[in-house]
Amino acid sequence: MTLIPPAVPPVPPVPPVPRPDEGSLLIHQALVYGTDDAFLASTVPFCLDGLHADDAVLAVTTEANIDLLRQELGDAAGQVEFVPSDRWYRSPGRTLSAYHRYVERHTVKGGHRRVRVIGEPVWHGRDAVETAEWTRYEAAINLAFAPCPAWIVCPYDTRSLPAPVVRDALRTHPQLVTGPGPRPSDRYVAPTTPGGAWKRPVAPFPAPGRAAAEQRFGADLGRARAFVAEAAVSLGMSPSGARRLVLAVNEVATNAVQHGAGHGLLTLGRSGHRIVCDVTDPGRTGADWYAGYLPPDPARRRGHGLWAVRQLCDLVEIDTHEHGTTVRLHMDLS
Amino acid sequence: MTTRADRERRVQDMAHGDHLCLAFADDAEQRRVVTAYVSAGLELGERVLYFADRRDPREVLSWFGSAGADPQRALASGQLRVTTAEESYLAAGSFDAEALARALRQEVRDSLTAGYRGFRVSGEMGWALRHVPGTDQLERYERRVTEVFAGQPASAICQYDARRFGPHALDAFDRCHPGAVEMDELYSAPGLRLVPGFRAGQRSLRVVGTVDYRATDALAAALETTLDWSGDVWVDMSALEFIDLAGVRALAHAAGRLPADRRLHVVDLAPLLCQVVGMVGWDETPSLIVTARETAS
Repeated sequence: MTLIPPAVPPVPPVPPVPRPDEGSLLIHQALVYGTDDAFLASTVPFCLDGLHADDAVLAVTTEANIDLLRQELGDAAGQVEFVPSDRWYRSPGRTLSAYHRYVERHTVKGGHRRVRVIGEPVWHGRDAVETAEWTRYEAAINLAFAPCPAWIVCPYDTRSLPAPVVRDALRTHPQLVTGPGPRPSDRYVAPTTPGGAWKRPVAPFPAPGRAAAEQRFGADLGRARAFVAEAAVSLGMSPSGARRLVLAVNEVATNAVQHGAGHGLLTLGRSGHRIVCDVTDPGRTGADWYAGYLPPDPARRRGHGLWAVRQLCDLVEIDTHEHGTTVRLHMDLS
Repeated sequence: MTTRADRERRVQDMAHGDHLCLAFADDAEQRRVVTAYVSAGLELGERVLYFADRRDPREVLSWFGSAGADPQRALASGQLRVTTAEESYLAAGSFDAEALARALRQEVRDSLTAGYRGFRVSGEMGWALRHVPGTDQLERYERRVTEVFAGQPASAICQYDARRFGPHALDAFDRCHPGAVEMDELYSAPGLRLVPGFRAGQRSLRVVGTVDYRATDALAAALETTLDWSGDVWVDMSALEFIDLAGVRALAHAAGRLPADRRLHVVDLAPLLCQVVGMVGWDETPSLIVTARETAS
């Protein structure tokens, strides 16, 4: 009896999949790395194991990391979808929606058991408000994708990122994959944590010494829409940008009229390179900061408004305070 | 570009020189428009000529009678004449566009000479589906009628039954008319009108104005009515000024309620709103077909 060497090396066993939060199908991990090798040591097996398990694999990362991954993956790179981060991370609402579409397309409709995503957000060039809201976006992922069979690894490059951004990654991701294997992040703060860990008051607007237009609204939202269109255009917004803002403001104001105080206040002005419009509802104090980040069921009667608003605008902040709820809509002027 | 809104006119707003197409899909609509048109003509002291086709002339006369007009007196005096196409301009067994256009011109003159204050004519056009020789001249005839009546104290309504003429033929004949009769609104309030009609020969609902939270239910109810129509439903958004998410949802919801072989076509929607349909995932509704308005900006 001769021993015949196997023609194909045995397939390495797929490492055990880390257990997600209870009741959640999602695995959301931060990969804090400081070298190219450390990046590849985690992401290459992540992709290969995924392809082996017939998962759909999407890699959204820097151009440099895409090059590294492609080289290292060789032929397998052809089965991975690559998107440069700066084309993917445009606004929190749009990005979250794009991920949701990806997951739906490949699992519910595409027949994959699961999707794996490398998602490296863009932090450079973000101001304080943007950084804060993108951080909350990372936190909201834990809620938005909880029911989805998705494994998301978010790389954070310590060579270039400010230390607070890396520290926040430990708060927004339930697990860390730095080093040998996944481990829970002991700094993790779940989005629904009581006590308002993720609540963040909006900055005073208009800033001291700056002007903003105000308009009260009630049941007749036609006047509110006219006010927004006129004020936005007069501040230099394009007609198409103004139409987006009008649609967004109308949705938020409709919530106030139908489910809040029945009336409210619009404050619209310019802040740096943005048009900012606050919609303040004095009758509502319980709004969640993550409202509009959770994908709505298309068949449901309600819940689409804020989801769409987060995609219509470049940035949305929701702040519940003692005087009600302020939804702040930001539109870039460029 | 001429929009539907510009070329549609309610029957009670018709004026001299009008030559309108009435496309209808139910008998009540036909009866309502025809009765209003003829009764108003009699009341105004105009001479009225009616060419029936599928309807029995006696039935048509009963419409006018029940609407309060006195058709028997008008018939006796010669102010009203109700006949059929077969017994009049098709009596020779073929259709002669020029001859009929000349005859109508003469009718206008004779009516004025006899002291009437104008002339109005309406005809059921169903005979055009029976392969009468000369039918191919029908489009030319319709254009001639427009010329003959222009500037005259005369008007005409040509009736096309959409259940019998296909969308293609209906559209072709509709285009031969400078205008069309507007149907009764399904909803009308300051800021919003929901008007059924035909667009490119297809039964459609025209949304004119603004749909915000106060009009969501009205839109949903009108769409519910369209579900009872046969075939695909077209929602014409060319005169839409604003619609919110709940309104767009009403469209998606109505589309989702159609049986598998029917579609809801939302046409001439602002490009931004087409994006919104995708944002919420309503573009995954197979029966909802959304087409963007072509805009300059």
